[in-house]
Amino acid sequence: MSAVRTEEFMVNMGPHHPSTHGVCRLLLTMDGEKVIKIEPYIGYLHRSIEKICENRTYHQCIPILDRFEYVTAMSCNYVFSLAAEKLAQIEVPERAEYLRVIMLELNRIASHLIFFGTTAMDLGALTPFLYALREREYIMDLFEMTCGQRLTYNYIRIGGVSRDIPAEFVPKCREAIKIIDQKVDEYMALLNGNPIWQKRTIGVGYLSPELAVAYGVSGPILRASGVDFDIRRDDPYSIYDRFDFEIPVRPNGDVFDRYMLRLDEIKQSVRIISQALDGLPEGEIKAKVPLKFKPPAGEVYSRIENSRGEMGVYILSDGTEKPVRVKTRGGSYNHLQVLPEFATDILIADLVAIFASFDIIMPEVDR
Amino acid sequence: MLSIVKGIVELVRGMTITGKHLGKHAVTLQYPEEKWPMPERSRGIVVLLSDKETGALNCTACMLCMRACPTAAITIDAPRGEDKKRQLKVFQLDVGICCFCGLCEEACNFSAIKLATKYEFSTENKEDLVWDMHKLQEVGRDVPYEARPKKKPAPKPESQSQPPQTVNPVAAPESESSEDEKKEGEA
Repeated sequence: MSAVRTEEFMVNMGPHHPSTHGVCRLLLTMDGEKVIKIEPYIGYLHRSIEKICENRTYHQCIPILDRFEYVTAMSCNYVFSLAAEKLAQIEVPERAEYLRVIMLELNRIASHLIFFGTTAMDLGALTPFLYALREREYIMDLFEMTCGQRLTYNYIRIGGVSRDIPAEFVPKCREAIKIIDQKVDEYMALLNGNPIWQKRTIGVGYLSPELAVAYGVSGPILRASGVDFDIRRDDPYSIYDRFDFEIPVRPNGDVFDRYMLRLDEIKQSVRIISQALDGLPEGEIKAKVPLKFKPPAGEVYSRIENSRGEMGVYILSDGTEKPVRVKTRGGSYNHLQVLPEFATDILIADLVAIFASFDIIMPEVDR
Repeated sequence: MLSIVKGIVELVRGMTITGKHLGKHAVTLQYPEEKWPMPERSRGIVVLLSDKETGALNCTACMLCMRACPTAAITIDAPRGEDKKRQLKVFQLDVGICCFCGLCEEACNFSAIKLATKYEFSTENKEDLVWDMHKLQEVGRDVPYEARPKKKPAPKPESQSQPPQTVNPVAAPESESSEDEKKEGEA
């Protein structure tokens, strides 16, 4: 009997595949059922945000940068404001710093809830998605009552925040984080022990710490590989050094650890928010920043710990109203780079799990 | 065998959690029939506000909103009349490119422009997305707002020295201190 001739074939995954979270296109080379090569193709969501910012004043850049990473738009607002404040050496009022930390951490929780829901949905569990988005609604309501929008906030401004929180914000926020804190335990009970969930996540998609560091991976993915690095603690910005919180680190570097680490982070964010609500001082919410904001000539890079990793903005200023160059750095870009390294005898179903656990968001990659 | 027992235990645990929701009310609404109340600060459609007594537009055509707009959605044409005051001739908002950031509302000194809590203004034609001042005024008639004091306190001397911006399509004004240029210096 003559030998059966086999050959590799290509599968196009995306750009509209439901589990590629947006418009990521992966060109897979398959050997039977095994994926032997992954090539990400990017650029479907390119809006040239960096170039647009060069033609806007510093104040106008902030609503544009809302679209840079719209799942945590507060951090986009913040990282740009931080860079501009560093450049012009603006002192931010105490109350504004507290409000910023509360908003950033609320947004981190919202982002991790989306991660939890979509990851579970990609792996075949629909219920967690509905639960996670229901709890996220509490946070969206808080944002909407404060700044008027649910997704593109335009709230954190150069020198402070745009508006003070309404009177009912603090009690509602306390209630929301209390509910979310309880619900996270429920999420864990729902999935962690499930044999199907365990089979699909534990030991799948191992990322070694060396590889993670070599590719510039940051955030929860890096910490799930056992590297203890968090910009909030190691290069503190804002007032994060005043709060008592832990940086969860997990050693195994598989899909399950990346998932668990984000749920742990929600609990830590709840701790930070409750401390910030306790210590919220009275006073000004915005430093005096002129409408014609002209920072001195120079360059600056600011970075923060986003829910997806290191988010940074580099500004080159020539002393005029508009920046000469704005460069943004999003964690997802590096995370997508490391994806081809996983093409060693995995199934497409595993690839879906790995991709979901990376929590890649395409606007951050394409910008 | 052990894994089967474990699986059944986890199945029961999962079903218990989902089962808790069985008798509860839905958290969603049947949208077009029922609607959530919008928060007061909600940033919906942009409207032009009118004076509560006279019904005339509050807008003084100072063009601060046009300059503040990051997407250039607002077009204002207001030539100076015989008394050197600007007469608002065209105020156009392209809702299609408006990003609802609210910078125009913050820039306005005269409670003339506001992001109302209204939404639901979809249309089938792209041309209908360009709203003129009459439509913006009509939609904004019943929008509640707090009128800001019209006269500002005496401006600081340095704020007068700012030259007018070049984005202004109308001929750049000379240095006469009409009410509308006084805001430039302060955010």
